[in-house]
Amino acid sequence: MTSTPLTSAKTPPGTDAPRGRLRLDGVRKILGGKEVVSAVDLETEPGEFLTLLGPSGCGKTTTLNMIAGHLTADGGLIEVDGRDITTVAPHRRSMGMVFQSYALFPHMTVAENVAFGLRMRKVAATRRGKQVAEVLELVGLDGMSERHPRQLSGGQQQRAALARALVIQPDLLLLDEPFSNLDAQLRVRLRDEVSALQRRIGTTAILVTHDQEEALAVSDRIAVMADGVIHQLDRPQEVYLRPATDFVAQFIGEVNALDGTAAGGGTCEVAGRKVSATPVGQAPAEGAAVRVYVRPEVVRVGSGDQGEGLHGTVRDTRFLGSRIRCVVSTPAGEVTAALPFDARVPAAGEEVTCSWRPSDASLAAR
Amino acid sequence: MAAVGRVAGGAVTAGAGRSARRTGLLLALPALVIFALLFVAPLFTLVANSFRTQTGAFTLGNYARFLGDPFYRDVLWNTLKVAGLTTLGCLLVGYPFALYLRGRSPRVRNWLALLLLSPLLISMVIRAYGWLVVLGPNGPVASVIKWFGLTPPQLLYNDTAVLIGMVHVMLAYMVLPLMGSLDRIDPTLVPAAKGLGAPGWTCFWRITLPLSAPGMLAGAMIVFSLTASSFVTPAILGGPKVKLMPYFVYTQATTTLDWPYAAAIGFVLVVVTTGLLLGYSRLLRRGKGEVVFQ
Repeated sequence: MTSTPLTSAKTPPGTDAPRGRLRLDGVRKILGGKEVVSAVDLETEPGEFLTLLGPSGCGKTTTLNMIAGHLTADGGLIEVDGRDITTVAPHRRSMGMVFQSYALFPHMTVAENVAFGLRMRKVAATRRGKQVAEVLELVGLDGMSERHPRQLSGGQQQRAALARALVIQPDLLLLDEPFSNLDAQLRVRLRDEVSALQRRIGTTAILVTHDQEEALAVSDRIAVMADGVIHQLDRPQEVYLRPATDFVAQFIGEVNALDGTAAGGGTCEVAGRKVSATPVGQAPAEGAAVRVYVRPEVVRVGSGDQGEGLHGTVRDTRFLGSRIRCVVSTPAGEVTAALPFDARVPAAGEEVTCSWRPSDASLAAR
Repeated sequence: MAAVGRVAGGAVTAGAGRSARRTGLLLALPALVIFALLFVAPLFTLVANSFRTQTGAFTLGNYARFLGDPFYRDVLWNTLKVAGLTTLGCLLVGYPFALYLRGRSPRVRNWLALLLLSPLLISMVIRAYGWLVVLGPNGPVASVIKWFGLTPPQLLYNDTAVLIGMVHVMLAYMVLPLMGSLDRIDPTLVPAAKGLGAPGWTCFWRITLPLSAPGMLAGAMIVFSLTASSFVTPAILGGPKVKLMPYFVYTQATTTLDWPYAAAIGFVLVVVTTGLLLGYSRLLRRGKGEVVFQ
């Protein structure tokens, strides 16, 4: 399987220049008088899986459509492998796109759907047939080639759409909320499959989703978007543990946001106590108003007052199945901790100290 | 009514299914009764009459007379030709219009749809006389041609006049089903095709056009059958020189008073039109269009 032409074609012998480097430079889009994408910059590594994550209306789909060419940027530059494609028509780009609705052609069989892109590229019939068969095997749809889309299940349609996008060996694989029409179980399975497949083939992939768990699970890097701008572009762990802005912190999972003043050297003062966290970007100047973001999972709850960390009283503990949720009242406000199963569970009313490793929390100017 | 009661009772058994089906039948009943009384029954009378002589004896003579007379065969052919050309005309004028409507806002669509339906709001006779003025020897069309220093051709009382008048009336019957069909096409299909390398025209030929086939088929069937049996517009705009089947049914029934022969002509038209439409839809269904009729 690993030696299918589809895989090897990505790196032809003799040329080790990897393909699929996408660069957006100050890309803007105005729709209906409103700037829905404002000055988006990003650059992918070849073979990278990059996700545009954000709520609906944040400009992520618009950005993807500009990369695909279905929308033309009102400003800025879009480059693939150094080639400016900002104003190139979509049919002259080489983008394999999977739509939320899959957009399979209902009047064609699976094989005809997959062959469509090859036909447009004037690939000879025999080679076309071979490539279609290969890619259908790759996505696990062998034996389904003569079916029509309506005869397939949601998951199978999704695979067919993926096969159709991959068979043209695109510069980029563009995925527009491809899993959102599937039920929860299938969604997780297909998302892991797609991610594994992408890694094997090595095509650069851009995923658009509003599902933070999905983004965390499949991405090499995540660009968190809101109101047309990228708030943070980093690895999933970074984005999760060290959110750069309020929006990122609140949008992904649950967070403790603590206000304080910068004290230099990655520390700050929160309600009169010294607290450590990692500054995101430039370290704020001493005395500047800052906010510390701490995920409940990284908060440790120790008994008594341990000097450093936030001292407080346990207000509530609750068994949640996979975790134990513990809410501590501190002078800086309530701090929520999600304690692991084997942790000692403090009782309500107990005096405790909440602490965390400095690398597990972020510090940003307020 | 008993059936309705049982469904309301909610018995989830085979009996419930049967009574649900009976309820469905009740809903269709008024339409079925009207259809049976006003269409099927008269059709039988028509067929029965067509096999009689004027005195009431059984005969095949009416059909022999029709099929044996080259003049009538010519009339039949001309009727199908005019109906076919009207259908083609409606398709050629209506398809781009339906495509244009697809991308418009609901407000623009409503106004344009009203415009499209406006010919149907005017009496057929008045509308036809309107065309008589427009296409007449002193009408605007002739004036424009004269202004260019040319002699205007005969615009009235020929197939062309009938064609223009019929396309005007029938356009809505083509555009409305087409709009419905185009609206049902997933709007991401064309972007998907473009992304796979298909330029605009290819997207149209390979995606939009085949997927709008149901609308084209429905529109064509309505326009063809209505045109083949239309009487007023062809009579006014075509006059006696344009020989169409409905006109001869009319003259046989009212002038010659040969009702059985009029019935035979009418029935031939029904059979030929129905046969053509069935063949046409079979042809489309058997072709690549299979999925289209989902």
